Amino acid sequence: MQRPDWAPDTIDIERPSAARMYDYYLGGSHNFAPDRAAARAMMAAVPEAPLMAQANRAFLRRVVQYLAESGVRQFLDIGSGIPTVGNVHEIAQRVAPDSRVVYVDVDPVAVAHSREILAGNDGATVIQEDLRRPAAILAHPEVTRLLDFSEPVAVMIVAVLHFVAPEDRPAEVLRTLRDALAPGSHLVLSQASDDGRDGTGERAEAERVYRRTDSQLWFRGRRDLVDLFDGFDLVEPGVVWVPQWRPESPESVEDAERAVFMGGVGRLS
Amino acid sequence: MTDGPESDRSCPGAFARAWAKAVSGTSYLPMTQAQLEALLHRLTGRLAEALRSEPFDQRIGQQVGAELVAAHIASAEGLGRTVEVIQLRLLRDLGLVADDGEDRMARLLATVATGYARALRDRTLDEQESIRRAAMVARAQAERALRDSEARFRHQANHDPLTGLPNRALLTERLTAAIAGRGADRVGVCFLDLDRFKVINDSLGHQIGDLLLVAVGERLRQAVGEHLVARLGGDEFVILVERSGGADDVVRVAETALAAVRRPAVVAGHELTVSASIGIVEQPVDGTTPGELMRAAGSTLHWAKAAGGARWSVFDADRNERELARYALSAAIPAALERGEFLLDYQPLTSLRDGAVLGMEALVRWRHPQRGLLRPDAFIGLAEETGLIVPLGGWVLAEACREAAGWGDGSAPAPFVSVNLAVQQVRRPGLVDEVRGLLRRTGLPPERLQLELTESTMMSTAEEPVRALRVLADLGVRIAIDDFGTGYCNLAYLRGLPVTELKVAGEFVTGLRAPEPASRTDERILASLVSLAHALDLTVTAEGVETAEQADRLRAIGCDAAQGWHFGRPGPAARHLTRSPALSGTPAR
Ligand SMILES: C[S@@+](CC[C@H](N)C(=O)[O-])C[C@H]1O[C@@H](n2cnc3c(N)ncnc32)[C@H](O)[C@@H]1O
Repeated sequence: MQRPDWAPDTIDIERPSAARMYDYYLGGSHNFAPDRAAARAMMAAVPEAPLMAQANRAFLRRVVQYLAESGVRQFLDIGSGIPTVGNVHEIAQRVAPDSRVVYVDVDPVAVAHSREILAGNDGATVIQEDLRRPAAILAHPEVTRLLDFSEPVAVMIVAVLHFVAPEDRPAEVLRTLRDALAPGSHLVLSQASDDGRDGTGERAEAERVYRRTDSQLWFRGRRDLVDLFDGFDLVEPGVVWVPQWRPESPESVEDAERAVFMGGVGRLS
Repeated sequence: MTDGPESDRSCPGAFARAWAKAVSGTSYLPMTQAQLEALLHRLTGRLAEALRSEPFDQRIGQQVGAELVAAHIASAEGLGRTVEVIQLRLLRDLGLVADDGEDRMARLLATVATGYARALRDRTLDEQESIRRAAMVARAQAERALRDSEARFRHQANHDPLTGLPNRALLTERLTAAIAGRGADRVGVCFLDLDRFKVINDSLGHQIGDLLLVAVGERLRQAVGEHLVARLGGDEFVILVERSGGADDVVRVAETALAAVRRPAVVAGHELTVSASIGIVEQPVDGTTPGELMRAAGSTLHWAKAAGGARWSVFDADRNERELARYALSAAIPAALERGEFLLDYQPLTSLRDGAVLGMEALVRWRHPQRGLLRPDAFIGLAEETGLIVPLGGWVLAEACREAAGWGDGSAPAPFVSVNLAVQQVRRPGLVDEVRGLLRRTGLPPERLQLELTESTMMSTAEEPVRALRVLADLGVRIAIDDFGTGYCNLAYLRGLPVTELKVAGEFVTGLRAPEPASRTDERILASLVSLAHALDLTVTAEGVETAEQADRLRAIGCDAAQGWHFGRPGPAARHLTRSPALSGTPAR
């Protein structure tokens, strides 16, 4: 990456953070005035924003439940955000107390907060790293301490990929991660998608809001997402609007595309 | 409050479902719809309990409000919808009736809302606190990381990565501080350099060389570590003696350092023994600068090296001054050549048989703008050391040919011009072409050019240059050996060389002036030299002839020609050319 290893970030809480805006959409109070202002601007442009966040978070919950029940005991959650409610380790450890989870985020405040939440939990930890440096993530001592890559690992990149620009080569990032995984591992992706919508202006407006934050938005269509699962076998029902992924009740699937997020789960055979 | 007549149709499940539907989507709920309904079903029971309580129990409604928040049904909308659904459906769905029903409902809603708002406020404040704390921790960490990285960066900027010793930057900083500070009156610097380090690098490779440097650095640090030991790069180290009591102090440090380096070192399986040289400067801090001090230490190091290495030298200002002056003079040669500050004088080579001027030796002079007219001994040695003799000698050769081409009026054979060649000029591959080109351009016949080489030049000359001389000799160019008799040249060796003339060194001629019997010996040596030379078909010119008596004796011995004050001092060519052969037997003025 362009940032030399010895040059640390500075903490600027005047700048809206995607992590804390997301917390606000979910109804949390782990946010500051600039985050709330940006989130409200987003909601003015895209009123469904909180619904989208909730639908994505519910997708994450169902996926972790599914993976834990199918025997996955290791999770690498990249772009994990501010731990609020329904965190991966809570869901997984409820199913299997020996589940191990490593959270990764670039946002130093999100990381500091996660560290506080995770204090005392031997099965979960957090590191500050960037999804765009997959090799650094894989080599991080905390990652190698807690996760055994000769066993299946679920790599979760949920509601993060839309912060990765095409020039940062997401496909290569995913390939690097995939090459480190044992058979039986999983890749979980979800991201904002403009599939089937034509320029309502919402998208442009959303992009404008996020330009003022620490992360830019990059929409991708269903096709792109399917391509990003290269090397994995998609688990039923494939890449869909997140509410459509193994829903718990039929009603929750109504108007699924309003969720804006598409996602899916792939398995490495 | 009592169960109404329709209490058999009490349906808490339907109410819980409606409630669940009302609050879903108001905030993120980390549970399934079924879990949510189960939770609300239980809370519905609590609400019923509150409605029936006698007297009305405020705590139950408040607990329900708090439990909702705890279950993350925690938003303004969540409260609004809850109030609405309780108000609209609770009594009906539970089949409850009472006279004071409305009254109780109002109080129930008030307690739920109170409990809810209180819990929500607490939760909000807690979350705000925790995110602030996280921001503070993150900021503290970032600042610590910044400090660490700055410290690391500073260390990197000030240290040599190979040996970990301070580098030039830190040395300069400390030296500057030592000179500027009120620390001590005197300061000392040992500039150390390994002897023949390049040989180790070339023969064993850079990796071994680097390891040796690491070992040397470590030894120096152990031996004289109370002083700053820096590595400047390559095999150069500096020891800074910040508080010196006098030169002896610094010499002691230098000796310790030399001893430490001298001990054999085992490096990657090789036992290496190296020595070092040290230049020492020790002086008052007043009136010096770090740059000056380091320059002085550097030149002193060269003295130690020039004296054979494995030793220290102490800076000597007078010697330095002399060397600087010499250096300045040699550095000025190229510009002087361009400005035309050099000129040629000539000294005649006169026939001892008939007094004719056979040839003239070109002698270079420098009309130095500040120092006046300089004779060759002031600058030729320097030019030879620095290699500047090549352009300077080239100019002399070209100028001599140019001038000589204009000598003579055709009435008598014009004299040849004799030009000294330094060893570097002879070794240059282009010599033959250079001479050929000059002869062609100036029109000077080859026989009228004589090249003078010293005996030692001739002896040290390899095969290739000898071939070049032979080509020139075949062209007709005369080759003379200058200063003959001062070296160890043997005549038999000369037989194989393209030489046409010997110039016998002035020392032999000087002896001829002395009264007997010493002069007899010199005379006999000279005589046999001349006859041997003649046997080899060489002509002999005696140098340094100063008296008529010497000239007479040389003539008697059979010497062919002579050069010296007796026959003419160096001067412009014209002065010697105008002298008629008839007068030439007599001493010049
Ligand atoms: C919308 S949140 C998603 C949180 C969680 N994964 C979820 O889906 O509920 C996005 C998170 O990704 C993080 N993020 C953005 N770009 C990232 C990157 N290049 N590397 C790692 N994390 C990143 C942000 O700091 C933020 O916390």
